[in-house]
Amino acid sequence: MRRFLGALAGIALFGGIAFFLLTMPRGLSSREIAALSEGDAARGETWFWAGGCGSCHAADRAKGEDKLTLGGGHVLATEFGDFVAPNISMHPEDGIGAWSTADFVNAMKKGVSPDGRHYYPAFPYASFTRMETSDVVDLWAFMRTLPEVEGRAPESDLAFPFDIRRGVGLWKLAFLDDDPVVEVPFDDPVLRRGRYIAEGAGHCAECHTPRGLGGQLDTLRWMAGAPVADGPGNVPNITTGEGGIGGWSVADFAYYLETGFTPSFDTVGGSMVSVQDNMAMLEPADREAIAAYFLALPALASAR
Amino acid sequence: MQKILMLATVTAALTLPAFALEDVVTTRKNLMYSNNASAALAGAMLKQEVAYSPEAGKAVLSSLNATSMAFGDYFPEGSGAGDTKARDTIWSDPEGFQAELVKFQTSAAAGNAVGGREGPADLAAFQAAVLPVLDSCKTCHEGYHVPE
Repeated sequence: MRRFLGALAGIALFGGIAFFLLTMPRGLSSREIAALSEGDAARGETWFWAGGCGSCHAADRAKGEDKLTLGGGHVLATEFGDFVAPNISMHPEDGIGAWSTADFVNAMKKGVSPDGRHYYPAFPYASFTRMETSDVVDLWAFMRTLPEVEGRAPESDLAFPFDIRRGVGLWKLAFLDDDPVVEVPFDDPVLRRGRYIAEGAGHCAECHTPRGLGGQLDTLRWMAGAPVADGPGNVPNITTGEGGIGGWSVADFAYYLETGFTPSFDTVGGSMVSVQDNMAMLEPADREAIAAYFLALPALASAR
Repeated sequence: MQKILMLATVTAALTLPAFALEDVVTTRKNLMYSNNASAALAGAMLKQEVAYSPEAGKAVLSSLNATSMAFGDYFPEGSGAGDTKARDTIWSDPEGFQAELVKFQTSAAAGNAVGGREGPADLAAFQAAVLPVLDSCKTCHEGYHVPE
């Protein structure tokens, strides 16, 4: 009996150590940190709009300049519980004003906080991880120009076992991958630019792709539509498959990103309004590149 | 005989509201399809795929103005169930919905006033008149319309 209990204890101890080691937050190496340069805020503004920071971190339904006020508080109510977007203004205590460049890159690309904890992937670093470090550094330079907002947002309120933050380490081992998802010709700069924006900063898949049991994106149904995470209705299929955007041209898609009107002049609605407002802030060439990417995706029928 | 009359009255009382609700949903859908058609013509002219004329501009603006005056009357309590894209926030956040309606009405009225009975003289005037109305489509659909 004693030996059995002893063996059990040994297994538990081994399991605990393995869990601890496997889930250790991994940030940038010291060499990578040393190589970080000064960012360019003007270039960084592109990534602010492409990434849609203000759509989650500013007040609900904020428009225009108000999207630069990043006090947090938006609640994403999901089956895992309520995720609350934090204050990411330049306030040194209530926001991220005291962060270093490395802190910001670690958050965006590795999902790790300055005090070494995992972020929940409701913060879409699983997409942002595909961004070039230099673009993230430029974005940080732009963020540094934004105002301070007082007041911390409430903590996220998650159901057991998702409230064990350390467990996200296992999720990352299984699902965090900075490789591109869709193959694109090496010599097509427009498609490559479109993929870079859509699969990275744009994080379109986080809403438009269905998820598996672990909350990970189902890459076999890439951009083919999914239930809305925090409300009624469905997020549309934006491949050219049945139920999607078959019949749209690249110009149609780019026009939608610019104006919010589909080819049949239906209007954008729901959470996409905020996204489309962001897309309208991009260069026309970037909207066209994004459009080219979506028109080139494998055509998948909507799940119903 | 009295029993049959009673039964008929009760049945009518219970089902007539359902028919009335069906009418309400059908009417507001048609008003919205009309908005869609106005937006489509406006967009085609703004993209210069269709040549602009003051008559066409006037048709768009007066149509949007007319539907904006009627649309809000077709959302009685209980009409949120069944085959409708009306979101429950219409009834749980009536002040917000009303504010969006007012935005639609004021922008449509202002647009409709441009150029008087003849309509906006040229495409630039039409663009200035119609864009604020088209913008009100987005913000109302953002909060009060069920996606897909």
